[in-house]
Amino acid sequence: MKALGPLTYLRRNQRKTLPLIGVIVLAVMLICGIVSLINSIPLSVRVIYQYSSLMMGVTPRGDAGMTDQIRPVILKESPVPIGRIATCRASETEVRSIVGPWTFAVIAVGPDDAKFTLDRLGVTKVNGRMPKPGAPEAVITEPVARNLKLNIGDVVLAPDKNDGYSPQEVKVVGIAETRYWFILADLDYYRVNHFPPIDLLLVFAKDPARQGELDAWAMERFKGERARIVAYSEIERQSKEMFNTLYRILDVVIGTLVIVITVMMGMLINIHLTQRTQEFALLQALGYTKRAMALRVVVETVMVVMLGWLLGLATAFGMLRLCQIILMDPNAYAIDIVDTVALRYTVPVPLAILAVSLYTLWSHFRTFDPVGVVERRLV
Amino acid sequence: MIESQNASLVYTDHGKQLYACRDVTMRVNPGEFVGILGPSGSGKSSLLYLLSGLKVPSSGETLYEGVSLSRTPDAVRAAIRLRDFGFVFQYPYLLGYLSAMENVLVARPDLDGHEQARSLLVNLGMESKMHRLPHELSGGERQRVCVARSLLGSPRVIFADEPTASLDHENGIQVVALLNRYRGEGALVMVTHDPSMLTAADRIVRLEDGVVAEGS
Repeated sequence: MKALGPLTYLRRNQRKTLPLIGVIVLAVMLICGIVSLINSIPLSVRVIYQYSSLMMGVTPRGDAGMTDQIRPVILKESPVPIGRIATCRASETEVRSIVGPWTFAVIAVGPDDAKFTLDRLGVTKVNGRMPKPGAPEAVITEPVARNLKLNIGDVVLAPDKNDGYSPQEVKVVGIAETRYWFILADLDYYRVNHFPPIDLLLVFAKDPARQGELDAWAMERFKGERARIVAYSEIERQSKEMFNTLYRILDVVIGTLVIVITVMMGMLINIHLTQRTQEFALLQALGYTKRAMALRVVVETVMVVMLGWLLGLATAFGMLRLCQIILMDPNAYAIDIVDTVALRYTVPVPLAILAVSLYTLWSHFRTFDPVGVVERRLV
Repeated sequence: MIESQNASLVYTDHGKQLYACRDVTMRVNPGEFVGILGPSGSGKSSLLYLLSGLKVPSSGETLYEGVSLSRTPDAVRAAIRLRDFGFVFQYPYLLGYLSAMENVLVARPDLDGHEQARSLLVNLGMESKMHRLPHELSGGERQRVCVARSLLGSPRVIFADEPTASLDHENGIQVVALLNRYRGEGALVMVTHDPSMLTAADRIVRLEDGVVAEGS
């Protein structure tokens, strides 16, 4: 090992370098953790309502009879081949999210449409059975079961549930294995028991990959008409608008945090450089150039900063994974523990610290007089 | 080999010009032991830093092998110091996180000097302490490490600025003797205010108020 290799200083001055690394680790972990957890909210919106990317909902407006008029228009004019148009009724219940309860649709279709819908949702297996026609029964998907802590035989809708009302107790008779969130009930039961008496449509593109195209066409085609289109793109747009302000606040908070950390690190690095004045003076007197010494300190700083950053990311990953295991997964809450947006938010930390370090180093060496130090005039 | 020609070094202090050295003309020949003697504040150290290229004269010239050091770029002067000069300072400066051995090796990063460094430390009585850190060494031991560092790579000139100032008399005598014994063919330029340290010197230059009073 070279006596003046960059690792030598870092390893043999751990009491100085470890706190520096520690501060960076904590800052990166904090930023990465906060951003990942905040991002989990819009991610939850996308995950919970992702089923709507596989089907388009059409509800009549102002006239219940519109449903029968909309169906032939779609079949005739759609630029995308239609796989199926299912008649349905719907009611509301609630699912739990990391920020509280969110409204979720219970969709009631006939037996054939139910099978088609589950196929489209990529259901590999239904544990239990499908609802019987006219019976107060429902099939829920596995994430919904996990989120609401429901098993076969449990009640999903009931007369005494304000957030999930049905005149009779609607029991879970099947749990479908898929990653999508969905609650499927029987159309006949809904037609008899649920208000308002309006049939809705679920429109499926023949090719699921072209569902977005169909949604876009329908949004444009039925604009201003007595029909409302419920499509995934709308949910995404609303979600973006909803979180826009939150992300602006987040930018300010993270920006302030980066500034605070950078100023603090700049002060620490300045203290460390001052403590090494004798070392630099001695080396310069012996014949080392300022450039060589500065380069060495830059390499040391880059190593500290990069190590702190990488360890911070690793620690954040570990904490988020722990959070995922303990809190998120058991409740089917969505979180991306390798969130690239969170990663991007941490990038200013090492860059700002490096910039301040380089400036500190430059100002330190600019007017450095080794003779003053070795003569003990300046120290 | 090293020559100063009417070299002056002027400091500005609150607008006043103060001469650390004034019109110094002197020469150091190869292999010679030159003592620079004078009271405190007489400009001895300033003259040493002029001769070694650590400072450039305000007027006049300092020449090394006929080349003006004042007209040589910083990087070239640094390279000359690293390759051809050895230094021992008043205070035994060592890098606190490096062992005695590593501190010696710092003097010549361009050489694989392990064997020579080891041999120097053994000769200087530091065999059992060569892997100790500076805070584990006494003042005299640290200065011996500095002596070994100045001798690594067999420099052509060793500059010693009051190397005995932080030591007791006995240790001081020992350090000078070691420098003189192991410098080989290298010249030794030593600044001191204590004439008893220069008994082995080939020549003594006396400075008073920055001016050569005797010898040159």
